Amino acid sequence: MSQPIIEVRQLAKKFGTFEAVKDVSFTVNKGDVFGFLGPNGAGKSTTIRCMLSLITPNAGTVKLFGKTYTEDRIGILSRIGSIIEKPDFYKYLSARKNLEIFARISGANVSKKEIEEMLEFVGLGGRGGDKIGGFSHGMKQRLGIAQTLLHKPDLIILDEPTTGLDPQGIIEIRNLILRLKNEQNKTIVLSSHQLSEIELIANRMVIINKGRSIVEGSVQELMNAQELVLTLEVDQLELTKTLIQNNFANAQILSIKENVLELTLEKQQVATLNQDLVRAGVSVAALEPKRRLEDFFMKIVNE
Amino acid sequence: MLLKNTYNEFVKILAKPRSYLGIGALTLLIGVILFAMKADGSSFISFVTQSFEQTLSFNGNILNGNLIAFIILQMLIIHIPLLIALVTGDLISGEAAMGTIRMLATKPISRTQIVLSKFIAGAVYTLIITVWMGFLALIVAKWIFGSGDLIVLNSDGLVILQEADIFWRYAMAFLVAFLSLLTVSSLSITLSAFADNSIGPIVSTMAIIILFSIIGSLDVSVFDHIKPFLFTTHMASWRSFFNDPVPMARIYESIVVLVAHNVVLIALAIFRFNKKDITA
Amino acid sequence: MKTIFTLLIGFLTFSISAQDATVLLDKVVARMNSVKDYSVDAHIKADIPLIKVLPVNATLYFKQKDKFKVVSKGIAILPKQGFTDVNALLAKKNSYMAVDGGTKQIGGVNANLVTVIPTVENSEFVLAKLWIDPKKEVILQSEITTRSSGTVLVDYKYGDQIEFGLPSTITFTVDVKKFKMPKSVAADMHNTDDKAKKKDERKNGTIIITLSDYKVNKGISDDFFKDVKKKD
Repeated sequence: MSQPIIEVRQLAKKFGTFEAVKDVSFTVNKGDVFGFLGPNGAGKSTTIRCMLSLITPNAGTVKLFGKTYTEDRIGILSRIGSIIEKPDFYKYLSARKNLEIFARISGANVSKKEIEEMLEFVGLGGRGGDKIGGFSHGMKQRLGIAQTLLHKPDLIILDEPTTGLDPQGIIEIRNLILRLKNEQNKTIVLSSHQLSEIELIANRMVIINKGRSIVEGSVQELMNAQELVLTLEVDQLELTKTLIQNNFANAQILSIKENVLELTLEKQQVATLNQDLVRAGVSVAALEPKRRLEDFFMKIVNE
Repeated sequence: MLLKNTYNEFVKILAKPRSYLGIGALTLLIGVILFAMKADGSSFISFVTQSFEQTLSFNGNILNGNLIAFIILQMLIIHIPLLIALVTGDLISGEAAMGTIRMLATKPISRTQIVLSKFIAGAVYTLIITVWMGFLALIVAKWIFGSGDLIVLNSDGLVILQEADIFWRYAMAFLVAFLSLLTVSSLSITLSAFADNSIGPIVSTMAIIILFSIIGSLDVSVFDHIKPFLFTTHMASWRSFFNDPVPMARIYESIVVLVAHNVVLIALAIFRFNKKDITA
Repeated sequence: MKTIFTLLIGFLTFSISAQDATVLLDKVVARMNSVKDYSVDAHIKADIPLIKVLPVNATLYFKQKDKFKVVSKGIAILPKQGFTDVNALLAKKNSYMAVDGGTKQIGGVNANLVTVIPTVENSEFVLAKLWIDPKKEVILQSEITTRSSGTVLVDYKYGDQIEFGLPSTITFTVDVKKFKMPKSVAADMHNTDDKAKKKDERKNGTIIITLSDYKVNKGISDDFFKDVKKKD
């Protein structure tokens, strides 16, 4: 098995008396699109900054490409492209000049032609000469992605890359990430509050809460092992409710709207519920399971 | 990578409007002095020579470009340091305020090189200001007022330096003046490494200069031991080149103190920036 | 009777002496008046407490009765009073009285002292003492006291222009007791003076002017002196 791209072990960081990160551990393998999830204040941003050597941890280790920053900071950073929080640029310079500035110190020889191609690639072709001060948030986000990819990094760390983008923009970013993974075999760490996006594109993830990593693993496995949320449309609401309450002790009815119930149920009990309803003479118009990361996430962080 | 990022710093300084504000303000300030001297410079000369004029008369072109240049150089003491700090005090903390510091710090360049490139760029900006001031003070003033001997009022008397003996003095004076201003630049950059906003380092730099200048000017014995170590005490050492004989030992001492200040300040800034958690 | 006789002899002696002083002075003035104008190259060396200056070359211009101009490339320090004062003082014959003051040896010459006392009210001159070489009819030394500038002592040496009464070397001794250093923009704000340096305690300074290449009575137009400020 090849060496992990990122290994974080028992990471801890305090700011004064405030423990932002207490005990975070996870591994990112080559080729992963790795989801990095956690509620506000969980320590995501602090962890990412430790991963990028912006912050020095008080305890634990961060290894990228098998090395710590103490061993080879320049070598590691030359293989990473990142956006942390919102991308910030020099407002008094044009988009092109900003990219030139970052390209110059990226460790790679990026030509002017490549800069122009990258501007086209992120949808800013023709805007290269405009000053950043006049850019919208979405345009800055695109430019941020441009500066991340300019030097062809092996590892890409994106902190909320779709924030502030319209639905079109969100789809474009999603497709871009998938292309980077599938066509270029890039390793991508994605921190996002758009949980549906994580579910669609990430193959592995870690959830952290209150400075600790809670669960880590394959997205699919984590989803499959858990409860489902079912949407159930029936013709006999009261009978259905009674049947559920009597036969499925662990089920929880989340909401009822006219003849549509939303409930949680373990995956292996879905088929049994369907059979019981049919035997009881209930017509089931719809039975739609949802493996919602959002619900899973909320369940995990509230435990 | 140091050279590449230094080039980046030049690009940034040249693109910032405040860089030109400093040069523009300097030009305006010197223009005002040239105009005032042209309009009523003789009153100024009388002020300098008045205590001798009961018994002596001073003949010749006293109000010449060399004297004007000297008067302009005197302004170094308070005004030009502010124009320097306006740009250099923003070099690190301005990036923190703008958020670009985290973009910069995640690139494959050491933090030491980031700081050094800013010092180099700050030094070049300071040199540009000094050279521009020299051009306006010496070349333009001579073009307007002509050349001639230089009359200088020191605390131990009047010195009249012959025209042929002046240029080398100005060349050395501007070199030492540059070193003084470089110290201001280094101080403001170092303070910038401790701050996350632009105004703090600029105001702090000026406050330190004013405070140290006041301590240096107070004739109180309790401050006598620290005065030789204050960089402001040595900021006027360029003036010593207009003494006769030139007190070279004292000038060397000033150069050593100013260089030491620069070395310590740069080291402090590098240390601080390397240790700093970048949360901006 | 004896008293009257003594007084009469004294008065007569005084009158004769006064006449001798006036006659000698008139001869000096006549020599001076033979010069309508002149220009001369001057090498000016000043040795004055609180002032450091190297010797300077200048050209001096004079025209009767009191027009004077200095043209120099550098800054030349000259005494405010004492240069053309003697000319100005002696130009108006009826404005002074000359009194014989005895003799003094100056440079191997037995010089006559003629004391010139202004008779005009509110005159700038208070007193002038002139030591005159009786044979050559030139001033060897003068001590001029004015209201504004105090006392200036001047020594004269002569060369080939003695017939015009124009000296080859003039040495001024000026009083510097009133010199004070003003605190000003041009002053050394950081007080870079060396406290250990010995302060110059002299009360007098000297300015030695060596004059050569006189051009006498060549004609200088009044316009040439126009930009010179009049003396108070």
